[in-house]
Amino acid sequence: MAQTGSTGQATGTDQKQPNQPDQQEQTSPGNAPSLGDLGFTPQQTQADAQMQAMLNKRTHMLKVHQTLGLITAIPMAATLITGPQAKAKGKNGQTITEPTAANLDFHVALGGLTTGLYFTTAYYSIFAPKIPGVKPKGAIRLHRDLEWVHGPGMIVTPLLGIMAYKQENAGEKVHGIASYHGTAAYVTAAAYGASIIAVSWPIHWKFWEKQ
Amino acid sequence: MNKKIPIALLLAALPVFAQTDAQWVLEQSTLTYHMSHPMHEVNGVSHAAKGKGVCHAGQCDFLIAAPVNSFDSGDSNRDLHMVEATRGAQFPMVIVRTRFPEAQTASPIIYADLEVQFAGQTAQYKHVPFQRVSLGNQVRISGTVPATCSDFKIDRPSFLTVPIKNEIPVRVEMTWRPM
Repeated sequence: MAQTGSTGQATGTDQKQPNQPDQQEQTSPGNAPSLGDLGFTPQQTQADAQMQAMLNKRTHMLKVHQTLGLITAIPMAATLITGPQAKAKGKNGQTITEPTAANLDFHVALGGLTTGLYFTTAYYSIFAPKIPGVKPKGAIRLHRDLEWVHGPGMIVTPLLGIMAYKQENAGEKVHGIASYHGTAAYVTAAAYGASIIAVSWPIHWKFWEKQ
Repeated sequence: MNKKIPIALLLAALPVFAQTDAQWVLEQSTLTYHMSHPMHEVNGVSHAAKGKGVCHAGQCDFLIAAPVNSFDSGDSNRDLHMVEATRGAQFPMVIVRTRFPEAQTASPIIYADLEVQFAGQTAQYKHVPFQRVSLGNQVRISGTVPATCSDFKIDRPSFLTVPIKNEIPVRVEMTWRPM
């Protein structure tokens, strides 16, 4: 249907203040129906300042979660990139080329930064207020399910990294369970990346359109 | 003599019929807001609206209301964020009032002046066209309310620091029946 040229004009009229119990219940002139005629329950029509405050806090915490989560992806990617330079090269029985201390330390520092940022990011999600009666639905479900992959991954990967670091400092080639440090890191990063994409999906690239 | 009595009664009753209010009730509805972001196009749908219309002395007053939290975009996280951004716990209902001449209820297009209460603000939309189709004793009304975030002083939510478009048109599909 064609729109008329006229657009809505906000009058700037504020409604009742939040501490007033019955929101939007206004008397109607003459025979005009009122909100009370429609049969909504009081729970549906009553203002809930406490719930609004909870929603505001939730949004604030999840915005911080989103920002920190994106920031965390940067050192996480850098840690993955520097991983091969922090690894001893050469097969058993051959000459082992140890990584330089600088490469190793840089990788460890990036890993530490990633871990710190990751758990700070997780804090803002875990402790964001939960809204009663709301079941996760849509893309957020996959985002949350993937926590069960990258969460344990972010515990296991640094632990394996510490073991690998100790073995390399002892002049040994990384062996045993510590040799899975790289695999754990890749799986964790993949799950983390998928988690970011999950909440952004479906993506329509229209940045060239004027806002 | 006996025949005159019913005729007299009928004549006496005519003014009463003339003053009788025509009342309408909203049978079913689909309200759909559209939100646009460079990375996302989102529709939020509500079927929870209730409405009533009263026509009296040549004028019709209609009231339609829906709980803000009844809109479903397919993502619970987004829906909660929408309720937060629109102050939907503080002002839980979106309420639309309109008044137009009763004669318009028979025309294929109704031009309605809308007063919309939402997010603690009241906005007026003048001359909004709605298509009207009669289906038996039901009437189907459809149109789009050209709402914007700024009309209701809503801080536009952003994703990756890019805010959504200011325009949040609301598509309205309603079926009314006389009470």
